[in-house]
Amino acid sequence: VSSKLPQNWPLLTSREEFAFLTHLVLRNSTGEHASVLLQDHHAGAVRFANNQIIQHVDTHKVRFLVTIGFGRKHASASTTDLTAGAVRETLQRAESLARMAPEDPECLPPPAPQHYGLWPTFRPETFETGVSGRFHLAREAIEQCQTQKVQGAGILTSAVTSVGVAANTGLFAYEPRTEARFSLTAQTDDASGWTAAVHRSIEKLNVVNRSLLAIGNCKRGKGPRELPPGKYTVVLQPPAVAGLLHGMLNSLDAKSYEARTSPFSAKLHQAIIDHRFSLHNRPDHPDMLGCGFTREGLPVTRMTWIENGLLRQLAYDRYTAYQKGISLIPTLESPCLEGEPRDQRTLEQLIQGTERGIFVTNFWYIRAVNQMDLTLTGMTRDGTFLIENGKVTAPLRNFRFHDSPLRAFQNISGYTEPQEATSAESGKFLVPALRIQDFYFSSVSAC
Amino acid sequence: MTMLKGSCWDELAELALNHVRHAGAEYGDIRIQHIDTQIIRGEDRRIANIQDVQDTGFGVRVLYNGAWGFAASSILSIEEIPRVAKLAIQIAKSSASIIQSRVQLTPEPIYQGTVKTPWKRNPFDVPLEEKTALLASTMGLLHQHPGIVRSQATMWACRDRKLLVSMEGAHLSFDLMAVQGGFQATALSNGRFASREFNMPHLRTGYELLAQTNFLKETSRVAVQALEKANAPPVDAGIYDLVLDPEHLALTIHESCGHPSELDRALGYEANYAGTSFLTPEKLGHFRYGSSQVNLIADNTEPETLAATGFDDDGVPCQRWEIVREGQFVGYCTNREMATTIGDTRSRGSNRAESWASVPMIRIANIGLAPGKATLDQLLSEIKRGIYIEGHGSYSIDHRRYNFQFGGDAFWLIENGKRTRMLRDVIYQGIAPDFWHRCDGVADVNHRGRFGFITCGKGQPGQVGWMTHPASHARFRNIQVIPGQARP
Repeated sequence: VSSKLPQNWPLLTSREEFAFLTHLVLRNSTGEHASVLLQDHHAGAVRFANNQIIQHVDTHKVRFLVTIGFGRKHASASTTDLTAGAVRETLQRAESLARMAPEDPECLPPPAPQHYGLWPTFRPETFETGVSGRFHLAREAIEQCQTQKVQGAGILTSAVTSVGVAANTGLFAYEPRTEARFSLTAQTDDASGWTAAVHRSIEKLNVVNRSLLAIGNCKRGKGPRELPPGKYTVVLQPPAVAGLLHGMLNSLDAKSYEARTSPFSAKLHQAIIDHRFSLHNRPDHPDMLGCGFTREGLPVTRMTWIENGLLRQLAYDRYTAYQKGISLIPTLESPCLEGEPRDQRTLEQLIQGTERGIFVTNFWYIRAVNQMDLTLTGMTRDGTFLIENGKVTAPLRNFRFHDSPLRAFQNISGYTEPQEATSAESGKFLVPALRIQDFYFSSVSAC
Repeated sequence: MTMLKGSCWDELAELALNHVRHAGAEYGDIRIQHIDTQIIRGEDRRIANIQDVQDTGFGVRVLYNGAWGFAASSILSIEEIPRVAKLAIQIAKSSASIIQSRVQLTPEPIYQGTVKTPWKRNPFDVPLEEKTALLASTMGLLHQHPGIVRSQATMWACRDRKLLVSMEGAHLSFDLMAVQGGFQATALSNGRFASREFNMPHLRTGYELLAQTNFLKETSRVAVQALEKANAPPVDAGIYDLVLDPEHLALTIHESCGHPSELDRALGYEANYAGTSFLTPEKLGHFRYGSSQVNLIADNTEPETLAATGFDDDGVPCQRWEIVREGQFVGYCTNREMATTIGDTRSRGSNRAESWASVPMIRIANIGLAPGKATLDQLLSEIKRGIYIEGHGSYSIDHRRYNFQFGGDAFWLIENGKRTRMLRDVIYQGIAPDFWHRCDGVADVNHRGRFGFITCGKGQPGQVGWMTHPASHARFRNIQVIPGQARP
């Protein structure tokens, strides 16, 4: 992967400089195996609350990790100092620890040279956004909240990271990655509305439109009613779906699967969700945070994880993949859940088709309750509404849910096309809004 | 570029503060920090990962016309210091251009000195072979037990050297050590699996804490209980009396008392992420948080606890104060920026940053449940039907820290005053103040444990905070329990 950094500030480690650092380590290493990982990260953030900036920061942080192996003995050391002396000292620390380490039967040499996809990881408009650009975007959100007489709390960030992985096998990968984030919670005394976006391009954050969306939801949420806990039909907005899906995908590791300590044990190539749905990794999608390679230097690829409801992939560590004869380890950093197009509806149609249900904007504090059946819990947050006779009729107090995505994703009665979604509970997803039958809420929050 | 080592930190600090002073800032400080962390992680009998992390850098914080600016860099050089100091000023100036209410820091005496937490054996000097052998032996013993199919064992040590210098004259040096270790066994039986953990508390001591904690002796109990847990019957939903052990209570206190008592949350500063607080300022001194048995004390002066760092990142000395006195809500965790909003004339010294790269914010103090007078046996003996819970499991709480749900690591049925057989999938639910009103007994100081966290997430960009929550066993009456299984 090659992508050149512009020559203006921030001066991040370039491909040539990373090659020099790699050479410095490999030339001086006495290890049988040697690999390096660089993360040179420059980020700025404007955070606000009560319609006022409360935190305004700019940080430049480097991390350089050296891993050394002697046969099956291995260890790593890292530094934030890229001067030649510090890099040599880091190499010596890694070597010293590796010599004393016990043999690891699962130790493998670093990967051989790989071919990487050229995904769109770098956007110059994000890279070039400095203090002033972030400030102006955050101010736009604050001003919308002031105008609409709600209290706004949120954050606007932009970041660029140069990432490199190399090894004495000839492996070499380098790419710059940009990322911009915006989120806003608009509040009144008894209601809140929320929005969030993350994108490689800061121009895709749509700060004003998103702010108006959050403010509108906040205003519609005034005077919430309380409904009893129980089973309800729910219409989940994409961020809520992403939270549930994230909770499920965390449990796909192959080692647990092989040891039969996974909720997916014996379910490979079996139906785990509604047969109309497939889950793909889409690093190539222009709205996703695709990247060329993993921290180990393995290529990130398009891959189908769930096909027509059937589980097709597991999350392999390199050793388990080696044992199973899997040469291309699947990755899932750009998950896209998609239902068959012929059954896709709009969000409005999902609501119109609901006689009585609950509209959920987002979930919060999602945690596993039971690793056997993947029961999760969490709260609704920032916009929960009653649906009656096909219309959103009233704001509701927040519920606690207690249900398993493995059960819920078998009870889908309607869905939209995939949309961008992110939240505090998940990375970035492309997921539809879903209507799910008999979703279980176990309690209600009185405030 | 000239990289400079610790001996030059004073000069670098002066260089930064000169720039801040000359730019006209009303306040400025710099934290220069070098953090060493070693993590050894074992999995399924093997040592899977050994990592030695060095993290060095500095952060400059300024107040200009009542607005904050902060910039930080891992390049500790005489070229980078002025760039970052000027950038912090530039940032503060832009914030000040739309400020509505100016930040004013609560006055604080100027302190100069050195803080060093005591240790007998530096964990970084302990031979790696000794540490890996202990973890490997621990996992080996776990796997000798029938039904144990997976294991983990970890060891963690951190040494944090920091210099805090402010324009006001504060000059504080820190040398802080902390260690922790633990292990886990996973049993598989009749198609069911379950895990059981053993955790040392994270404490600011040296390797002697690991040496005192006999991992090998604990393996048999943990392995046996993991298998018993896998075969245990699920709990029946209902109302139970609960007795919670100190490790479990640390999390309950953290979530239902610690976070709501952070003043920045109560003032809305975390509304977009970590959330707000049901303990709003008008409740201070006027709200019944729990029963008269409940005394929750913030104590950042207790030696070896995680937040006992001598001073916070505002340069305010660590203190001891009350959060809840005999059930009444009486105190917040505060910093110099916000203390006056609740009428305090001085900060409680709870302003902490994760590292040089982060801006300090209010963090939970070492909030602990004060010991009572009972023994554990006495707490159990007065229960007809209840559940005894040890360790951490599932946990979730709403964004105002009001509605919560907790699991645990191990559960035993209490029948007629005696702990009997294990249960599985126990989840209890509550509303924070209602739950603490149901506390009718706390064990004495002989039962006290000091568990804490180094992964408390808060802020945007996210930071982790460290704190200890000492507690003795406590009893709670008539708590709603549900089985942790998906409804059919």
